[in-house]
Amino acid sequence: MADSTHPNPGPPALLCDNVVKLFRRGRGLKKKVVRALDGASLTIPQGELFGLLGPNGAGKTTLVRCIATLLIPDSGTIRLFGHDVFTDSLFCRQRIGLLTSGERTLYWKLSARDNLRFFAALYGLHGRDRDRRIDYLLELLGLREVANERLERYSSGMKQKVSLARALLHDPDILLLDEPTLGLDPQFGRFIRQFIKEELNRKQGKTILLTTHYMDEADELCDRIAFINRGKIVATRTPAEFKREIPHKEILEVRCLGQPDTTGLKHLDGIEQVQADFRDGITTLRLVMPKAEKVLSEVIELLRPQVRLLGIDVKEPTLEDVFIYMTGTSLGADTKEEIQ
Amino acid sequence: MNRLRIWWSKLRHYAGAVWAENIKEWKLELTYKADFARGLIDPVVYLLPYLLYGVALVGGRSSENLQRLVGTSDIITFITLGYVFIGFLNMALWAMGFSLRKEQFYGTLESVFAAPVPRWVFTMGMSLHSILHQLLMIAVQIVFILAVFSIRINPLGLLPTLLVIALMLVALYGIGMFMASFTLIFKQGWLVSEALSSILMILTPIAYPLAVLPAFMQQAALFVPTTYGILTARHFLMGEKISFTLNDALLRLALLSLLWVAFGLLVFALIERQTRRAGTLSHY
Repeated sequence: MADSTHPNPGPPALLCDNVVKLFRRGRGLKKKVVRALDGASLTIPQGELFGLLGPNGAGKTTLVRCIATLLIPDSGTIRLFGHDVFTDSLFCRQRIGLLTSGERTLYWKLSARDNLRFFAALYGLHGRDRDRRIDYLLELLGLREVANERLERYSSGMKQKVSLARALLHDPDILLLDEPTLGLDPQFGRFIRQFIKEELNRKQGKTILLTTHYMDEADELCDRIAFINRGKIVATRTPAEFKREIPHKEILEVRCLGQPDTTGLKHLDGIEQVQADFRDGITTLRLVMPKAEKVLSEVIELLRPQVRLLGIDVKEPTLEDVFIYMTGTSLGADTKEEIQ
Repeated sequence: MNRLRIWWSKLRHYAGAVWAENIKEWKLELTYKADFARGLIDPVVYLLPYLLYGVALVGGRSSENLQRLVGTSDIITFITLGYVFIGFLNMALWAMGFSLRKEQFYGTLESVFAAPVPRWVFTMGMSLHSILHQLLMIAVQIVFILAVFSIRINPLGLLPTLLVIALMLVALYGIGMFMASFTLIFKQGWLVSEALSSILMILTPIAYPLAVLPAFMQQAALFVPTTYGILTARHFLMGEKISFTLNDALLRLALLSLLWVAFGLLVFALIERQTRRAGTLSHY
């Protein structure tokens, strides 16, 4: 069943109930069934900025594409403001603003203005209303000066801004933002995040479903977050509630040169979870435990003969720690191709 | 009254979407200027061998045998008028499917299909662009042929010809929808276009009279919309004998249009639904 925490009156902006999506790949003996969504349920009240947080291949994009009617689920219900997205498809598509991940969703040989004019017509905007709306959005997103240049000359961040303008053309009630800052440099990423929070959610009051695998982004922006893993919604809470999910726990973060054997750490008394992330020759270990100082000396003793220690820190649990604690999977992991 | 307003607003929205798709296609096409210029020469280059071959075989512009078979002897005008319809046929068999394929290649198909217009409206925009493109090509052909060979047509025949062509285009839209569906489901949908194109090119009496085909092929040709387009156009513009009246042609074309459009829309809807089930809509 879908969770039912929506304070606003009227139907929820979005309700997904037990959505299942299977992908069949290959033929004959090589045939595989990938369970992309495995009974995903969530409810988003009107005006909420809701985050869907999960690693690559968790099912985030599949769910967004189902909501946008680009995919038909095998079972389950999706309702937008009380309307079934498949039986009342045109109504729902008129109320959705979709920002898909990836740059190649616009015509690169056309200018930003020509792209927006084309999509405006598809969304039923004409004449002066259309031109005013396009000018307003170009101004709002700081694209006015370059509006008549072809997109092929734009940076990734600028293209993403045009995609965002396209999603906003028809002033939709709900925005589906699929990894909106993926691959952007920090400056554009910051701009897009601020724009989503301040302009779209706070000022314009839009309901937003934002998918991301960036923990900080979800933490910073979202009123509530759903953890999604292997096609299932694992839990839905506010960021603060999630962090309280690991009560009275501390995270001991150890950075070291090389890759240590973590088997011994797992058997130390008091350590509940060990996560190791190896990048560029440096391993970052995150150990979950009730009290870090109790095992600190033993951890050092175990690691020192194996690797060179670079730093040790005691931290509060982050959303990523909670995600790992609940699912056993890192947000940086790739969980694609889960075979049924 | 309220319902009327809703319908009017919807009609305006859809018509705007069709026009916008057409304009967008022109803009994209014109970004490749050299290719566009080459495209303008193509129709002339492809037509010339037909004409020269015909003239060489007959030993001049006038053919007694053609006169006996169809009631007119001018082989240049006969072939030119027939050839014009190859473009229309290609438009149905290739252009719409190719347009969808391009959208997959650009990565824009999903963005377009997420918009609140039925997907057939979008394909209608593609079709409109193809028709206008084709008319431009025909204009180039006609200007060239007039300048070099001077074709002789009856100007009074233009109106009924345009009427028949308009109806034929509706049927071709249906065929185009049918062909475009294959682009969605088979990534090599052009194989189907290729096969169907070969068959229809033989059945359509472009450079020869229908009478030279075997009887069963003549019967089969009557199910192809371009057959009526060519025969009636040549009948009204240059006096080719035909075995049916204008009313017959219009009636049969109306029926063919209805069948092809219904069939094309149905197949397109089914296949488009299937691709959304399989998750392959944007696969290139």
